[in-house]
Amino acid sequence: MRTIKFFTLAVLFISILSCSDDNDDAPFLVIESETISNLHAPQSGGQGSGEDISGAFTKFSFSTGQATTSETEWDIAFRGTSIILNGGTSLGTTDEPDRTGEASGYIADSTLGGITKVNTALLKEDSDKGYVITGWYTYSGPPKHVITPTPGKVLVIKTHDGKYAKVEILSYYKDAPENPDGLTDESRYFTFKYVYQPNEGITTF
Amino acid sequence: MSLNKNNILIFFLFFFSCLLFSQEKNTIIQDSTKTEKLEDVIITATRTKRQLSSLPLPALLISKKEIHSINSLRLNDILNEQTGLITVPDFGGGEGIQLQGLDAQYTLILIDGVPLIGRSAGTLDISRITVGNIKQIEIVKGASSSLYGSDALGGVINIITENPKNGFNADLNSRSGSFGTYDNSMNLGYKKEKMSITSFINGFQSGGYDLNTEDELKTVEPYSNYTFNTKLDFNFNDKTNLFISGRYYTQNQDYVASENLKGESKINEWNTHLKLSHTYNKKWSSYFEFYATRYKANEFLNNPDNSRFSETDFNQLLIRPEARGIYIPSEKSTFIGGLGWNHETLIRTDFSSQPEFNSPYIYLQYDTNPNDKLNIILGARFDNHNKYKSQFSPKTALRYELSNKIAVKGSVGYGFKAPDFRQLYFDFSNAIVGYTVLGYNAVTTKLPEMEDEGQIANIIVPLSEFEDELNPENSVSINIGIDYTLYSNLKFNLNIFRNNIHDLIDTRVVANKINGQNVFSYYNVHKVYTQGVELNTLWKPATNIKISGGYQLLFAKDTAAEDAFKNGNVYARLTPSSSSFQLKEQDYFGLYNRSRHMANFKIFYTVEKWHLDANIRGTYRSKYGLYDTNGNSYLDTYDEFIKGYSIWDFAINKTFFKNYQLGLGIDNVLGFTDTQNISNISGRIFYGKLNINF
Repeated sequence: MRTIKFFTLAVLFISILSCSDDNDDAPFLVIESETISNLHAPQSGGQGSGEDISGAFTKFSFSTGQATTSETEWDIAFRGTSIILNGGTSLGTTDEPDRTGEASGYIADSTLGGITKVNTALLKEDSDKGYVITGWYTYSGPPKHVITPTPGKVLVIKTHDGKYAKVEILSYYKDAPENPDGLTDESRYFTFKYVYQPNEGITTF
Repeated sequence: MSLNKNNILIFFLFFFSCLLFSQEKNTIIQDSTKTEKLEDVIITATRTKRQLSSLPLPALLISKKEIHSINSLRLNDILNEQTGLITVPDFGGGEGIQLQGLDAQYTLILIDGVPLIGRSAGTLDISRITVGNIKQIEIVKGASSSLYGSDALGGVINIITENPKNGFNADLNSRSGSFGTYDNSMNLGYKKEKMSITSFINGFQSGGYDLNTEDELKTVEPYSNYTFNTKLDFNFNDKTNLFISGRYYTQNQDYVASENLKGESKINEWNTHLKLSHTYNKKWSSYFEFYATRYKANEFLNNPDNSRFSETDFNQLLIRPEARGIYIPSEKSTFIGGLGWNHETLIRTDFSSQPEFNSPYIYLQYDTNPNDKLNIILGARFDNHNKYKSQFSPKTALRYELSNKIAVKGSVGYGFKAPDFRQLYFDFSNAIVGYTVLGYNAVTTKLPEMEDEGQIANIIVPLSEFEDELNPENSVSINIGIDYTLYSNLKFNLNIFRNNIHDLIDTRVVANKINGQNVFSYYNVHKVYTQGVELNTLWKPATNIKISGGYQLLFAKDTAAEDAFKNGNVYARLTPSSSSFQLKEQDYFGLYNRSRHMANFKIFYTVEKWHLDANIRGTYRSKYGLYDTNGNSYLDTYDEFIKGYSIWDFAINKTFFKNYQLGLGIDNVLGFTDTQNISNISGRIFYGKLNINF
């Protein structure tokens, strides 16, 4: 009796394994978890200079896991503390790229691991009224003037081509110093951790 | 500095030579300090004379003797050593007092029963007040708006100035110490039968100090100030008395904003106080009081070529006539009632208008002893106001003697703080960054103007929200205490307090500007509470030794923050490279700049045959946070804290030839400083003092 039971279980197990192996038309891709360090996102003007903020946004693609200069194949882009998504419409600031994709997003109060499923009802696109990704940092004011990515803010993002990613920004300063000083440390260097779900239509991580 | 050291050396030599010299004679000099003091009397708690020991409210009295023996100069020196009180530096450079965990703006400061003004950024700088002519300092804890109206949320500190003794009397007092500090004062008094007159002059100089020598700026720039006070007291007959007091204060300080921007800041303040008292019979007496005070602060910065870079003015005026009546129907009860009117104006840079406050008020208090053991106080005050919501402030207090040794007391009171002129009328646009701050009452007129000028991108808070009047910040405070006299020379007293503060005023964004910046205004939002326990012990093991200890446990929290932690909405991360994690309820530390534990310990020792007294005093405050360091905008246990610290002071005074007193001391013996975080602790201070009585 016992051997038969074991045998059936073994057969079942093998067949499950072989099933996934055989399914060639829709390969199930592995979820990618990465940390990007020192993504430089400079800006010109602003901050009391009397001039409008300008300069190219630094674009990033989750599928390649790298910065890109492509005008269409990008998901998220950074310029100073501004973060835009490749979807919706432009706010119209100087040098802001046009949106070509269908990217959208929201900010969730959670840990990165705590986001297991995208709440698609919350997804919003950038518009001429404002960006979707705001309020991701805390500004300390004097004396140190530090910009700290607010702990517990997770950027949940639908990419330009309809996949999902979740992002936790860790630092705004070069080499993510332990105790940054807003006046002396080099800023506009993003360090962030993200999890990318490369499978089309899957909203879980 | 070198001059300063020499001075101390001279004091030192003088002191010891006198010590040696006078020792031989000591035996013949009659002791003058032995006379037992009468029961301490306090006037602030009820506005009538009351025995401190029978009072149903938590109160504290600091005597002239204590002020002299510790060689205090300014009010902040002496208040810092009291249980539950701590002075905290303000960003404007002043020092305010934190009481029962409430911010400096919530304690009313009075001189001879009338308020000081000049809270340009909310805090009243108490280092402005010299202690040279003080008879006693009275501190009443707990909301006291039922008698005093606005600002008395945390409590009231009343400085009672000295009156002359019979005949002509004078004293000179001089102290110099480290950091180029010189303090000189002179008291002249004359009293004969019906009249007394007294004049006081104080000059104070500080060379300032620099805790961080790396930058161009000093922590405190050099400054000097002068206080003049003249009082006249005239008894027309046994029943009618006239009191007139005039005070003038002026301060000059270098103002350095950067290497290139230098200027000066000036404060000028005057107070006039006139009081006519009349006793009709055993039951009735009345007081007519007129008080006027002006506080002016000006500062400017010049460019290197001496052209003007900036200039700001602050000019506040308060006029207050008040009539008071006291009715004593029987030995057991006292009624006191008052009727008055506050008129206040302010001229200030960056204001939308020149505002004027008018606020008539009325109050009544009933103080009764139904029997020998029970004392009840019931009181209430109504403040009408033309610019914000009128306030009704009741208070009740009770004390019951369980036995000769134990008494219990409790009080519940309401306190409020009127919105200040800034919160109502500010109209300030930052020329460099481009944001705008509007006072609550300025929004409805100013915002449409800005919209017409095309400055506004969109309005976030509808104008209709500014139609109602702004609420004053207000609190309900509860104090429950026990006085326990174990032996006549050993006393304990315990007080449990809770202050529920509502409608705290904060700023929020009301509109976006087209330049990408925001328009801010004020609104009622926060609810915070402070609660804790205060314990005081006084022990006199011998007639010439007094040992006292005090401790305060404090929890000061924002209720919205508490909820955020409870609901799991607050996160932290340990290092910039690690992921964030959720914080628990117990991770919330509380409000900024509050220490959970504060304590003090003092020993006063007198050697009568040498006419010498010495004391050692220590204060401790446990760790506290000044700002959020991990980006979640709350102060939690994972933030960086300022370490707890203690400060020890030592003083020794010697009287010789009856009228001369020399003193030496070291404040902050261990030389504690925290150059990064604590700007009002300069370091170790050596000083010498000479006091001459005529």
